[in-house]
Amino acid sequence: MSKTPNSTRPQPWFMHPAAFLSGWVLLGFMFAVQDWMSMRMWSYHVNLRLLTEAWGMQYFIWGVLCWLGWVWMGHHIQRAKLTRLLLWLVPISVACCLVEELIWVACFPHLPLNRPAMPYWPRFWFHLDAELVDNLVIFWCTFALFRGIGYYQQLREKEEAAAELRTQLAHAQVRALRMQLNPHFLFNTMNSISSLIRIDPAAADVMLEQLSSLLRMTLQRGEVQLIPLSDEMQFTEMYLAMQDLRFAGRVRQEISVDPGLHDALVPAMLLQPLIENAYCHGLSRIQRDGVLVIAAHREDSMLQLRVSNSGVGLASNDGERKGVGLVNVQHRLRLHYGDNQTFSIQEVAGGMVTVTISLPLSFREPEVAALAGYGVA
Amino acid sequence: MIHAVVADDEALARAKLRQLLAEEHGVDVVGEAANAEETFELVRTTKPQVVFLDIHMPGMDGLDIAAELSLGKDAPPPHIIFTTAHDQYALRAFEVHAVDYLLKPFSRERLSSAIERARKQINTRQASGQHSGSSLGRYASRIVFKSKGRIVFLPLSDIRWISAEENYVRIRTATETHLLRETMARLQEKLDPEVFLRIHRSSIVNLQFVKEVRTEADGEYSVVLLNGEKVSMSRSYRARITDLLTNG
Repeated sequence: MSKTPNSTRPQPWFMHPAAFLSGWVLLGFMFAVQDWMSMRMWSYHVNLRLLTEAWGMQYFIWGVLCWLGWVWMGHHIQRAKLTRLLLWLVPISVACCLVEELIWVACFPHLPLNRPAMPYWPRFWFHLDAELVDNLVIFWCTFALFRGIGYYQQLREKEEAAAELRTQLAHAQVRALRMQLNPHFLFNTMNSISSLIRIDPAAADVMLEQLSSLLRMTLQRGEVQLIPLSDEMQFTEMYLAMQDLRFAGRVRQEISVDPGLHDALVPAMLLQPLIENAYCHGLSRIQRDGVLVIAAHREDSMLQLRVSNSGVGLASNDGERKGVGLVNVQHRLRLHYGDNQTFSIQEVAGGMVTVTISLPLSFREPEVAALAGYGVA
Repeated sequence: MIHAVVADDEALARAKLRQLLAEEHGVDVVGEAANAEETFELVRTTKPQVVFLDIHMPGMDGLDIAAELSLGKDAPPPHIIFTTAHDQYALRAFEVHAVDYLLKPFSRERLSSAIERARKQINTRQASGQHSGSSLGRYASRIVFKSKGRIVFLPLSDIRWISAEENYVRIRTATETHLLRETMARLQEKLDPEVFLRIHRSSIVNLQFVKEVRTEADGEYSVVLLNGEKVSMSRSYRARITDLLTNG
């Protein structure tokens, strides 16, 4: 019980002894002024100084008692069950009132005024009779205050913990999804390289270089979730170059990005699964003249990303229409933007399939350092 | 014939380079080194024009070796091509006037383009009969940046044209385009106005690659590049470019 309450949490500022005691004394002064003014109204003339001293002292003593109560028992007052607490606080409240009165009476031997001088004990009983109820009210108000602070702090703690948990969960989920994306794509590529090693070592070499570049970019990005569209497009272009090698010119790739959107933020590795999907379920099923269009445009306050591919339409892909890649993309969009995003997949015409994503437009802070260095050779 | 030295502490890395270089025309590997001392010794005895240098090597790192070699105690200093798995030393490599910076693993094409660059630099050095081009004055001749997971040391003479895209510029070479976070104004400051000409608020062309200026059916003007690409031109810039083309 002798340990300070809230040793783990920061104390409310008004529980600092200086603030707490000055608050109490100020309260006393206010009562003194009120008392003085009401006496003036009844045409009594009382010494304001004496009045101020008496009230100030009373509340100062209360302040000290309550602060000691906070230090010694604050934790208990906040956490203990109310019924058990009342059982032993009732005697303590009476004791507190008596102690306060004992000290106060000793401090002011001339009070009450306009009476013949009295010895200590009759004066004590006289004052106690007048003020016991007031004192009890003061005690229980303070008790309510302490208890209230406890409730408030517990509530805040719970809220903070819940918020913390929510962000941790979201991060963990996003991390897990990205881990699912990368190895999936990594192993496919390694398999391509493995088969190229025998039939076309030079092409295997090129693909290995491209894969290294992709990995370098991904690793440098680290845990960053939102990246500028220009970075995402660089990654996409590298990925497209690899796909082009695999599909040996069977697919015409078109990219159009609104120049004002290079700095717009998008979730990292958002497009790769869409493109992989386009190749897997569409472009790989036709022999030639495949078309893949990737576009980024602005629609009011939204960023719209579109991946269209020619192929065999949605109908013939019924069973596997939404691969794990697309589900992950939708999941990530929800985690990042809640309901403020849309994802749709539809067949346009002649086997063209379009995936459209729109997400709220936001831009990264411009970087101060220039990325390029110049020199004379 | 270019004489080259391969310096790498890993035998497999040296073997790969030696094999790839054997397939290159006009390159002769005159020796291999596995550490700093061997490299200095080889350079002193064989006087190669090009050194392929790994950055992490026992004894002394590749950047320090390059700096030491560039002092040219055994003049002329060789051209350096770094080969490394680390991309964080690119700027320092650029500062020691490396020809190129190959990130491992690199493909044959990438190596070929590095050698091509080295060859060009060797030829210019022979022509001017001196060390690197301080004669170029205030204009840059090369630019370094990261693009698509690679380090690019791009000679500005390789650029065909440049277009502005808001806060970015798109640099177009014969084979590739690179998006770079840079402003047109800042970039133009570094470019030699004798070679690079602003023809539009958002485009700069390299005059070396310009074939003709054409008037379109709608009365607008465009610049046609040697490869047939068309870049539209503002009216106000027309007089200047016609001037330059007829004089040049």
